[in-house]
Amino acid sequence: MPRSMWRGSLSFGLVNVPVALFSATRDQDIHFNQVDSETGERLRVQRICKQEDKPVEYDELVSGYPKSDGDGYVLLTDDELANAAPEKTRTIDISEFVPLDEVDPIFFDHPYWLVPVGEGDGPLRAYKLLVEAMKDQERAAIGKFVLRTKEYLVAIRVREGLLSLVTMRFADEVRPVDDLPLPEKADKPKKKELDEAVRLIEQLSVDWDPGRYEDRHNERLEKLIDQKRKGKTIKAPSEPEVPEAVPDLMAALQASLEEAKASA
Amino acid sequence: MTVPIKVFGALEDRQIRFRELHGKDGSEVAHVLVGSDGAQVPRERVAKGFEVAPDEYVLMTNDEIKAADAPARKAIELEDFVPADQIDPIYYDKPYHLAPQKGAEEGYALLVAALEKAGRVGIGRVVLRAREQLVSVRPVDGALRMQVMRFSGELVPAKVMDVEEPKKPPAEREIKMAATLVDSLCTEWDPDEHEDEYRERVMEVVKQKEAGEEIEIAEPEKAEASDDLMAALEASLKATKSGSGSKKKKGKK
Repeated sequence: MPRSMWRGSLSFGLVNVPVALFSATRDQDIHFNQVDSETGERLRVQRICKQEDKPVEYDELVSGYPKSDGDGYVLLTDDELANAAPEKTRTIDISEFVPLDEVDPIFFDHPYWLVPVGEGDGPLRAYKLLVEAMKDQERAAIGKFVLRTKEYLVAIRVREGLLSLVTMRFADEVRPVDDLPLPEKADKPKKKELDEAVRLIEQLSVDWDPGRYEDRHNERLEKLIDQKRKGKTIKAPSEPEVPEAVPDLMAALQASLEEAKASA
Repeated sequence: MTVPIKVFGALEDRQIRFRELHGKDGSEVAHVLVGSDGAQVPRERVAKGFEVAPDEYVLMTNDEIKAADAPARKAIELEDFVPADQIDPIYYDKPYHLAPQKGAEEGYALLVAALEKAGRVGIGRVVLRAREQLVSVRPVDGALRMQVMRFSGELVPAKVMDVEEPKKPPAEREIKMAATLVDSLCTEWDPDEHEDEYRERVMEVVKQKEAGEEIEIAEPEKAEASDDLMAALEASLKATKSGSGSKKKKGKK
């Protein structure tokens, strides 16, 4: 069982469910350590006080915000920061329920599992009650809470029989497309091209099956590490080719359709 | 079919950033790398190492790491198209906006229109920062949006959480009441209705502290688990009815 990121209470009306929060993702990537190339020894990060030129331990740290006159910092402890909204650091308060399909996935950030904690049958029953009340509806509960000095908007729904929580971005954290150099009206596609493009997309359509896509990164990297270990040289990759715009959309579409049909 | 595009980050960092300081003297703190003897090692001597056996590291340069996912073309290679509504949102990770390069406007507009008309999302691969990613490409507001997709192996299945069933499951009547409470709190999704109020309050605390005021630390109240579910549900329903769900929209100019 992994470690919980947070413990507190999920509050829905006057029903409180004591819960713990666990990440619903696992990082399986190969990670490198920082190593001294001369001694082959693994290095660690050390914090040094610039004034004393001496090591500083983690629990000696505070947060600093630049003073309004730009001269030095205002010092704040974690307790003082948490005090900006003490109730929110302990409770996820559900304020409303919304249809899940109305929420643009651009707002979703990190997924977690919410798991009941506490003594006896009470927390398990309250948790189960929420699961049962929400499971048949394609709805997400919306709430807010504070995790490590940042406030999160969250959506909670039922997945695989448990409460699945996802942290969400606030509207002002998502950039609108207004500033992008997008095509003008004049670039509107011709009907014949559009029909061909839709045909091509349909030709290449499949049902969504996440198991269909294999993560090949680790395997490839492991192979190279193994080669390097055996003393082989690894060539730096050549610059990838930069594809250019097709001069004739219709011809390119037709060629793509032929190819898709041939490989189907 | 290729459409030359440019990639833009779709996120804006609004988090208040604090500087890590030494509490004792308010001094800035530097991060250095040290060996087991505590001696500092200069940056140019630091390499990336992969531990193949205890204390045995294979050193890799950035170019060697890049060779793992070296693409033939600098492109988002779309492999499949899938119905947009089939994708569970848990798979969506970091978003980007895509815009056409000069001369590619027509191809870009065609792809937007065709994906919209077909109701499909393109699924493909692209190498971002020396790592091959699975991505989706969908049309939104006349533009193409790319979102990194999580691989299925990255998700922790529910059974790992090992949640027990309650000995006494909630009664049918309790579930019905809870569902009624859910119904009474239903509304439409409007991202603009939710603001990060905490940011403002943190800035207030910063101002208070700068003015030399003492910050009182409130002991947070511990919420108790509801023992009597039925009573809690009844009271909640009563509260929402008397409030008649009018908490929405107010405060909006």
